Amino acid sequence: MDQNSATYEGQKMYDPKGWWDTYVFSQDHKVIALQYVCVALAIGLTGMFLSLLMRMQLGFPGLFESIDAGSYYQDVTMHGMIMVIYLLTALFLGGFGNYLIPLMLGCRDMAFPFVNMLSFWMYFLSVIILVASFFVESGPTGAGWTLYPPQSILEGTPGGDGAGIILMLASLAVFIIAFTMGGLNYITTVLQSRAKGMTLMRMPLIIWCIFLATFLGLLAFPALLVGAIMLIFDRVLETSFFMPEIFKGGEVLDYGGGSPVLFQHLFWFFGHPEVYIIALPAFGIISELISVHARKNIFGYNMMVWALIAIAGIAFIVWAHHMYVAGMNPYLGFFFATTTLIIAVPTAIKVYNWVLTLWNANIKMTVPMLYCLAFLVTFLNGGLTGLFLGNVAVDVPLSDTYFVVGHFHMVMAVSPVLALYGGLYHWYPSVTGRMLNDTLGKIHFWITFIGTYLIYFPMHYIGFLGVPRRYYSNEQYDFIPQSVADLNQFITICALIVGLAQFILLYNFIVSLKKGAIASKNPWGACTLEWQALESPPGHGNWGEQLPVVYRWPYEYGLPGAKEDFIPQNVPDEQIVKA
Amino acid sequence: MNNYPASEKAFLGLNHAQVFVYVLMTVISILFLFITNAYLFRMNFQDWSPVPIPSLLWFNTICLVLASVGMAWSKSGAKASDHQKTKVGLAMAGVFVVTFVSGQTWAWQELNSSGYFLSSNPANTFFYLITALHAFHVLGGLVAWFVVTFKVFKGDATMLQPESVGLLGAYWHYMLLVWGVLFAMLITT
Repeated sequence: MDQNSATYEGQKMYDPKGWWDTYVFSQDHKVIALQYVCVALAIGLTGMFLSLLMRMQLGFPGLFESIDAGSYYQDVTMHGMIMVIYLLTALFLGGFGNYLIPLMLGCRDMAFPFVNMLSFWMYFLSVIILVASFFVESGPTGAGWTLYPPQSILEGTPGGDGAGIILMLASLAVFIIAFTMGGLNYITTVLQSRAKGMTLMRMPLIIWCIFLATFLGLLAFPALLVGAIMLIFDRVLETSFFMPEIFKGGEVLDYGGGSPVLFQHLFWFFGHPEVYIIALPAFGIISELISVHARKNIFGYNMMVWALIAIAGIAFIVWAHHMYVAGMNPYLGFFFATTTLIIAVPTAIKVYNWVLTLWNANIKMTVPMLYCLAFLVTFLNGGLTGLFLGNVAVDVPLSDTYFVVGHFHMVMAVSPVLALYGGLYHWYPSVTGRMLNDTLGKIHFWITFIGTYLIYFPMHYIGFLGVPRRYYSNEQYDFIPQSVADLNQFITICALIVGLAQFILLYNFIVSLKKGAIASKNPWGACTLEWQALESPPGHGNWGEQLPVVYRWPYEYGLPGAKEDFIPQNVPDEQIVKA
Repeated sequence: MNNYPASEKAFLGLNHAQVFVYVLMTVISILFLFITNAYLFRMNFQDWSPVPIPSLLWFNTICLVLASVGMAWSKSGAKASDHQKTKVGLAMAGVFVVTFVSGQTWAWQELNSSGYFLSSNPANTFFYLITALHAFHVLGGLVAWFVVTFKVFKGDATMLQPESVGLLGAYWHYMLLVWGVLFAMLITT
């Protein structure tokens, strides 16, 4: 393969030859981004389908004979893992990261296009391994997405004694390798390949967010990798890293002396930063969208950047708030409760700044703006319940109840997905050159927004009643009133409606490819560089002969004396058209 | 906001490959940090019975040091445009690293045949896991060594690639440093 045929400003360009090179084994960041988006959305739909199966059992117990306790646990586990890792992490960093970093920074491609391509194919392989576990004899693992030993690798847990858990761990290991390849590329590109004039403090906030989320991932995923490797050892070679002495039916198993809590530490040292690996890119999308669609510069750019850096730093010292009930020294619990509350400060700064950006702004109620507003209230709701759970004394009674399920779905499932959808609506014209249908977009938005509240708000009440999460059936317990069953039915019906509504988005995506209104080059009037490319959608190499030069920050809206209400980053002062 | 193009400057004066490899080394450090943390945590449990460290590991360590010396030799050759010196250094580094990895596998066999099986004690498991993870990363360096060596042997004196050789050398010194820390931990605990 000849990669050297085109050279711009000393940077060698990858030159695709033929269909396979252009669309399949492509090294162009935009194609790789689309590949990430398509695979992540496909596996995400699978994850959503699994959640609907769970909801069917909870709302209408016993209606489907095929959903037994084992398959229910498998659905719970795979739903969680798919959504957190294979959908959101991959889509935000692999999809948005790949598409936006080179375009927004004014470079031609990632620093290492070949490694970038490898990153996608490793990700694809990890998804294949994950999906393969559905087809092995005992099915996928049903250990819960946290994969806590000892139960995750023992007989009795679905997939525990078969290949299910091994495939899960192997898939995670491959995913981590894929992420590392992609992540090193994002870091190098952000640090090295910015256009002339694009200083770090002129980068769009979403690039800051992706950059910091990538750092979090690169530093946190090794903990999961170590945990996964050691757990594979325990499962396959019967070592005892995590396995204590275990008696089964009066017999002593070969294990002994290990510490399950060690796994919990390793898992959550990864697991909590993972929340921010998902949340930071969502913050970034909101920062971009809110400024563009409210026609106003982002409030407190510098403060936003420092708040992000603070969040990224503190994210590493809060992990054990997931382990309050694991037998923790109270002083340690106090420490982690304090750090957990402290991380709310920079997060609150961001929320205030978004709200202040909206203050007195010329808000356009476009679909992306609707998603921004929905994100703000949802993230606030989810964040507030986090204050409950971050405190040890409140967490202990609420631990492992539906309150926790309601909380984390609000804060790290619905919120990022709302940001994700906003981002998809916003950047669809840049990718395809066409607009998405606005009416369909609004219908999809309202069903999704109201629907998710109807699903997750009641879960907080169910949690207050003490209903445990993860239970296959709630029927045999005296302390659970009939109203919980009624509420569960209601939630299930809402979940089915919201689930079906996602096909409106899919339909809109596919139909708009051919029939959507032709988008102008910069349909939203944004200042950032991805809308300033010569062609729309941007061609291979992004910028034609000349790389852009950056003269200003990315949020130059409503400049006094200017004719337009936005000045793109690559327009020098002398070219600004006066009013 | 400044309203003029800022000067274009690479981050800390590094090139793309250097940033990539230095960040990669940070990630690998984190990986080994976790595994050593887990080791130090687990060794306090009652069932821990330390592994006798095979004396072969000292020989292997010397090999790894010599591999690093080879890389340093090669780098100084590349800088001075001394083709012969670069090649000799690279060859030396390759031979000693292969000897190191072979020596590690030999040490495993030695331990295994003395009854220190992988799963019979957590100390054994950690010993095998830590040395294997390190050897795996050394082998990754060997792949990069093949690429650089191929370039150097194929090219003429004007294509000595001092940057590639230097960066490869940095990774090999780093692998030696990691081994130094791990080995010190293994023999002192």
